Amino acid sequence: MKYEMVAGFETHVELSTNTKIFCSCTTQFGGEPNTHCCPVCIGLPGTLPKLNKRVVEYAIKAGLATNCEIAEISKMDRKNYCYPDLPKAYQISQFDKPLCEHGYIPLSNGRKIRLTRIHIEEDAGKLVHSRGNTLVDYNRGGVPLIEIVSEPDIRSIDEAREYVEKLQLIMRYIGVSDCKMQEGSMRCDVNISVRPVGSERLGTRTEIKNMNSITFIAKAMEYEFNRQVDLLESGEKVVQETLRYDDVTNTTSSMRGKEDANDYRYFRDPDLVTINVPRERVEEIKKTLPELPIAKQQRYIDELGLPETDAALLTKYRKIAEFYEKAIEGTKNPKTAANFIIGQIFSSLENESEKEQFNIKITPEALSELIKLIDSGKIRMNLAKSTLDKMLETGKKPSELLSDSDLAGLDENTFNELCQKAVESNPGAVADYKNGKQKAVKALVGFVMKNSRGKADALKAEKKIIEIIG
Amino acid sequence: MVSKEEIMKIAILSKLFVADDEIDSLTEDMDKIIQFADTINNAGAEGDDFDNINNLSNVLREDEVVESYDREKILSNAKDQDEGCFMVKNIMK
Repeated sequence: MKYEMVAGFETHVELSTNTKIFCSCTTQFGGEPNTHCCPVCIGLPGTLPKLNKRVVEYAIKAGLATNCEIAEISKMDRKNYCYPDLPKAYQISQFDKPLCEHGYIPLSNGRKIRLTRIHIEEDAGKLVHSRGNTLVDYNRGGVPLIEIVSEPDIRSIDEAREYVEKLQLIMRYIGVSDCKMQEGSMRCDVNISVRPVGSERLGTRTEIKNMNSITFIAKAMEYEFNRQVDLLESGEKVVQETLRYDDVTNTTSSMRGKEDANDYRYFRDPDLVTINVPRERVEEIKKTLPELPIAKQQRYIDELGLPETDAALLTKYRKIAEFYEKAIEGTKNPKTAANFIIGQIFSSLENESEKEQFNIKITPEALSELIKLIDSGKIRMNLAKSTLDKMLETGKKPSELLSDSDLAGLDENTFNELCQKAVESNPGAVADYKNGKQKAVKALVGFVMKNSRGKADALKAEKKIIEIIG
Repeated sequence: MVSKEEIMKIAILSKLFVADDEIDSLTEDMDKIIQFADTINNAGAEGDDFDNINNLSNVLREDEVVESYDREKILSNAKDQDEGCFMVKNIMK
């Protein structure tokens, strides 16, 4: 029998606010243990949490960017469970009135992954297990999170990967989170089940907790899919349980037994008042949203005529897209700038994080200046490329690097003379060509290009040389 | 009805020691407490919104950092501490 994967995601995204969700301690990553704490975030009795305005704003932004409806009335609830990373023995979260609901993320294959909800909550502290004891650091306790919950709409590992990447991209674009999975500012729980292809019924699901890399998510889902299929094929049943993925052995294992199936006893947090989101406020926030990467990518394809791969690469990070858009202002061919960025500029950057930062020495105006020189026929591509390399190295503008003679172009007489000289000073290549070795002419063209400092038109030179040889 | 097992579970969660001969009376007490709490169901509040009785909304703070407490102070009530952290018995089995 053929089986199909059915998966849904719960994604925690740390918001990049300055302060925690309910107190004014810093949210900075790292720091000595328990130095970013106060009585509120270590859960002392008698303290009063007060909601951070920006957390509400960022969550609404995230909702709008993922096609959600924004609730008019929302509230905070207590989710009760007992674990040392949670000093109050409850987490302040949202239960039945989340800030955002009914959104979706469109995938490139045309399917939509529906979002059930996005709610705000506080992060837990960090536990370190050492010598038979557990050490608790509450620096991360109270850092604001949004939890993005999807419907079980994901059908393959490729879809899962694209879904997570798109979320990451959107959250970074709108500036609500840096989504650094390796630092834990974006983490995923995956609910996964299998069913025979064609069946409408959902199978029993398992939940793989807390994964912080897209590679691990893919591997864990593959392992879990095969494990569940094997169980069903051998006539056994899938047990609903919470699993941990071990990236060393590439297996999943049970985290907690079914006997303490959780009842979180949610109830409204009486310390926190209702959140009221007037419609005008939603409209205001909507106006602050930048053009989103998916729309931007489509526009690059439709209006600028870029190939899809180029459009995807240029829109992956907001800084690159902004640079590109400035660089093509007033130029004729948007593809030229795209080629320069994806080719030469990208290869000067070591890794993804450098691409994201996009700290390069040249300004978009300088690149634009270079492209205009090509557009107007003043310099040829070869010279433009070597000039761009120098620009990236020195931070100088084209006008500072190119001499008057570079920009003067090549007059007809000089061009003809160079072609003549190429034939005269390379008798070997000429002979080869005459003996039927067509490629030999390239050496002669190379001579012209070199001696004209790249200003000659290579195609025109080839024609002329063949004409001279006769 | 509250069961003896539930009483024991609550006692463990609350870190309370309960002697065997106390279980029966505690179970009875807990039953009474829950019955008392149930009286609220007879309050006849249909139609009233108890969800937000103080009628307050949007009590929010600006996102501005205030210096955190000294770690010494933060840890001063900890039963055990080590390496600047609260220390509890190992929770991993």
